[in-house]
Amino acid sequence: MKKLLILLGFLSVIALMAWGFYQAIYAAPTEGTMGDVQRIFYYHVPHGMLGYLFFSINFVASLLFLAWRREQPAKALVADAWALAGAEVGVVFCSVVLVTGPLWGRPVWGIWWTWDARLTTSLVLWLIYVSYLLLRRFAAGPQMQTLAAVLAVFGALDMPINYLANRLWRTQHPSPVFFAGDNGSIESHMLAAFGWNVLAWAVWGLTILAIRVHVERRQQSIDGSEAAAALAGD
Amino acid sequence: MGHNFLVAAFCCTWAIQLGYLGWIALKWQGQNRKIKASAGNPW
Repeated sequence: MKKLLILLGFLSVIALMAWGFYQAIYAAPTEGTMGDVQRIFYYHVPHGMLGYLFFSINFVASLLFLAWRREQPAKALVADAWALAGAEVGVVFCSVVLVTGPLWGRPVWGIWWTWDARLTTSLVLWLIYVSYLLLRRFAAGPQMQTLAAVLAVFGALDMPINYLANRLWRTQHPSPVFFAGDNGSIESHMLAAFGWNVLAWAVWGLTILAIRVHVERRQQSIDGSEAAAALAGD
Repeated sequence: MGHNFLVAAFCCTWAIQLGYLGWIALKWQGQNRKIKASAGNPW
């Protein structure tokens, strides 16, 4: 029964992804100025928004890890698994933003990259979480998780700066379309296609996050067994 | 020309996402091997 439910869940995710793709490529109208290349919007922007979500999960889980690490170590380990998974999935989503952005910018702006506030803070955000993952991978000793959690809390400061970058400063990157008051608007069919893609990628990302947390919890259990066996002298 | 950039963007997105999923699958397989090996170890 459990296997059947998991299979149905995966099929639903695949169906939703296919529907999102159909909406982005066939259902959404072609934008007048940019043409077909504007359809990158339906992958680029949802990935950016969801990147914030996964980095926020990392932030909250890191705070919980720091709060629980002394009195409730078992709970702290759960928080640590969520923090790691949030950072990894966030880096994956942020990587997509950094790859699809230049592929959209080249035909529209005539350049692959420029050091404006939005693009630079996006790259810095990605570098912060890559360094977080590298710290977790290569630092040894019992302090590694605590150091990583502290880095995550400070690293999260770049998120609001990145979000506000094209609101506070003049940038090559377009002005915001959503939550921008009278300055931003989007055609209703485009909004529907965008909404479907946000939903599809959110479900995809959260599914991968849940899988990654499960794998990390399993790893923690294997590490625990190995440490216990080593202490017992096996 | 815009069409090529669109195809490239969508292909890169899926390559990154599926690449990460594949990496998780490899990690899962590695854990299975470890669990099997430790279960078969008489010590």
